[in-house]
Amino acid sequence: MALLKDNAAVTEAAVDALIARFGEPDWLAEERRAALRTYAATPHPTSRDEVWRYTQLERFAIDGLELVDGPRDTSVVDRVSMRILDSDAEAALVIKNGEVVQRAGHVGESGLIFTDLRTAVREHEALVREHLYSVVNATMSKAAALDAALWTNGTFLYVPRDVEVALPLGTFTTADRGGLSAGRTLIIVDVNAKVTFVDEYTSEPIGERLAHHAATEIVLKDGAKLRYVSLQNWSREVVQQNKIRARLARDARLESLTVSLGGDAARAEVEVDLEGPGSESEMLGLYFADEGQHYNQYTLQHHASDHALSDLLFKGALRDASTAVYSGVIVVDPGAQKTDAYQTNRNLLLDDESEAVSIPQLEIKANDVRCSHGSTTGPVPEDQRFYLMSRGLRPEVAEHVLVTGFLHEVMSRVTLPKLAQYVERVVQAKLGVPGVKEKL
Amino acid sequence: MSEHSLEIRDLHARVADGEAILNGVNLVVPRGEVHALMGPNGSGKSTLAKVMAGDPQYEITGGDVLIDGESILALEPDERARAGLYLAFQYPVEVPGVSIANFLRLALNARREEGDEIGVMEFYARLQRAVKALDWDESIIERNLHEGFSGGEKKRSEILQLLVLEPSYAILDETDSGLDVDALKVVAKGVNAARGPEFGALVITHYQRLLNYIVPDKVHVMAAGRIVKEGSKELAMELDTRGYDWVRVEAGLNPVGDDEHAPRVGA
Ligand SMILES: Nc1ncnc2c1ncn2[C@@H]1O[C@H](COP(=O)(O)OP(=O)(O)OP(=O)(O)O)[C@@H](O)[C@H]1O
Ligand SMILES: [Mg+2]
Repeated sequence: MALLKDNAAVTEAAVDALIARFGEPDWLAEERRAALRTYAATPHPTSRDEVWRYTQLERFAIDGLELVDGPRDTSVVDRVSMRILDSDAEAALVIKNGEVVQRAGHVGESGLIFTDLRTAVREHEALVREHLYSVVNATMSKAAALDAALWTNGTFLYVPRDVEVALPLGTFTTADRGGLSAGRTLIIVDVNAKVTFVDEYTSEPIGERLAHHAATEIVLKDGAKLRYVSLQNWSREVVQQNKIRARLARDARLESLTVSLGGDAARAEVEVDLEGPGSESEMLGLYFADEGQHYNQYTLQHHASDHALSDLLFKGALRDASTAVYSGVIVVDPGAQKTDAYQTNRNLLLDDESEAVSIPQLEIKANDVRCSHGSTTGPVPEDQRFYLMSRGLRPEVAEHVLVTGFLHEVMSRVTLPKLAQYVERVVQAKLGVPGVKEKL
Repeated sequence: MSEHSLEIRDLHARVADGEAILNGVNLVVPRGEVHALMGPNGSGKSTLAKVMAGDPQYEITGGDVLIDGESILALEPDERARAGLYLAFQYPVEVPGVSIANFLRLALNARREEGDEIGVMEFYARLQRAVKALDWDESIIERNLHEGFSGGEKKRSEILQLLVLEPSYAILDETDSGLDVDALKVVAKGVNAARGPEFGALVITHYQRLLNYIVPDKVHVMAAGRIVKEGSKELAMELDTRGYDWVRVEAGLNPVGDDEHAPRVGA
């Protein structure tokens, strides 16, 4: 069994250099140094760890990689410009290897803050200090500790009380050089406020391996509503580990969608703490792995309060000797009565070489709850394939219809039309549907 | 016989690695004619239909199927469809997430060159004509393929697709089963609308009642995996009143065949 190894560049000196370069306040410097100590004290995951079982850990190796210190150049490549033009976002931020290289559009709502995290530390220090590391912190995992110590930039979004942001906002995280990098998103939606935010990860081929770590912290106050999309379509040299976690107060509602289409390997951890009664979390996931890609998803539906609802549906298709692991747990705390918690994972195998593992788990410590979990993994229904082909559809088109049909259950719940079209287009391109080129 | 006909020559087939189901079927449907195929449950009618369409669960162990003199057995199911063959399934499957309209657009474009896709107006005009011919509500085309359809609606969809795709040869597998008389008339109207010198059909049915509306040029009777009798439309009426036993006896089979009962196990 291949064991993960330390990276010689991850040192106190490296953390101190970051702190000095960004001129960070003492509290943040201390957080980073503490995170590094936690990182050093935390063993690397092994496949014996329950949450990493079946994961091809070696694909997430970081040893030997240099810390990424800004982009090669600050231009915005076509692939990203096209995505901005074609996205639902009203305003967008482009962050390339940790540098902000573009701020597009603007937001009109008063009091709304949408900027990069480094700027936010300077200009909105109190808000950042109150919330940073309050949802995802270094003690949660080795990767979370690495991110907490070494993040270079990311998004800061604050929506003030009662403000409803009409159009979606988004950040495009991109890269033009390889190495080891870490980014962070912090979203705070205040009481009865409402917003849609899309985190999109994409790049043109980089030519060298990039191991990107991401942490996404989401704080939803009473009655806050957030639609959050994390869309990973990195070029094939990239491996990504992303921990997305949200804390929901009373009557807050989160609709999340996690999409994995690109990269060589990607792990997405999507976790919610339902801390307030009446809070609701819809969790959608969609992935399509080809050419040996490895996708790994871990989900947590933590019901800490009564009368909360979580409804999870992760669906993925695989082909060309690709692999996927889904592992998800529903935790219902004692006293979290009248919980509704649902979890479904379905995998469609387009060939015999691909493999998917699904591990749903329940830990229920309350007695008045409604919970269900289920998973299926299977090949394309041959009778459906034959039916489509019997109408003249070429095999690749028939396969596309079947994949679309399979993913429809998720896609039909995606309320961002341009995003849905883009996902559809990437899926078509990956299937090699004739006449469909991924316009990038 | 080769010019302009759908021809089945001494066709033998079995479930892949399983028992033989078709034991030498001979049958010719000239273009411009509609033939009926009748026979007891389990005699192999649907198997014949699916084998012709290229269902991969069956293996052909002998014989040939020809469209206008060209063998189609080496063709994939989609290539057979583009060669002009259409099968209305006895049990149409549901495919979630694709609307009937989108599906038919893909099916029509599959028959055209890349870059020569059918125009939106032309396509919808064609679709509307077909919907009207079946006295159907236009909203049906936006529904996902057979998702939540009743048995009768599925059968109607099979005819709708036939009218839009305009195949040269169609096999209709019990499209009348489970339909009330009104629906039956609608389906028959659809098939009769397709009828003409450029269209041949093999209509599989158990009931003379359909043949009152789609009058066949010829009736074939299948038992134990082969055609055991052929006749004119009067034969269908005779079968309706007398049953199949006498045909079986004539063909040298037991009056009550094991093909009428639960599956035989093993090869
Ligand atoms: N895929 C299969 N696997 C196993 N047995 C099969 C398969 N397909 C057909 N058979 C068997 O072959 C025989 C013929 O079946 P088929 O469906 O062709 O009959 P049919 O004439 O269409 O009957 P019906 O009038 O009931 O529709 C039956 O005994 C059936 O059980
Ligand atoms: Mg049948």
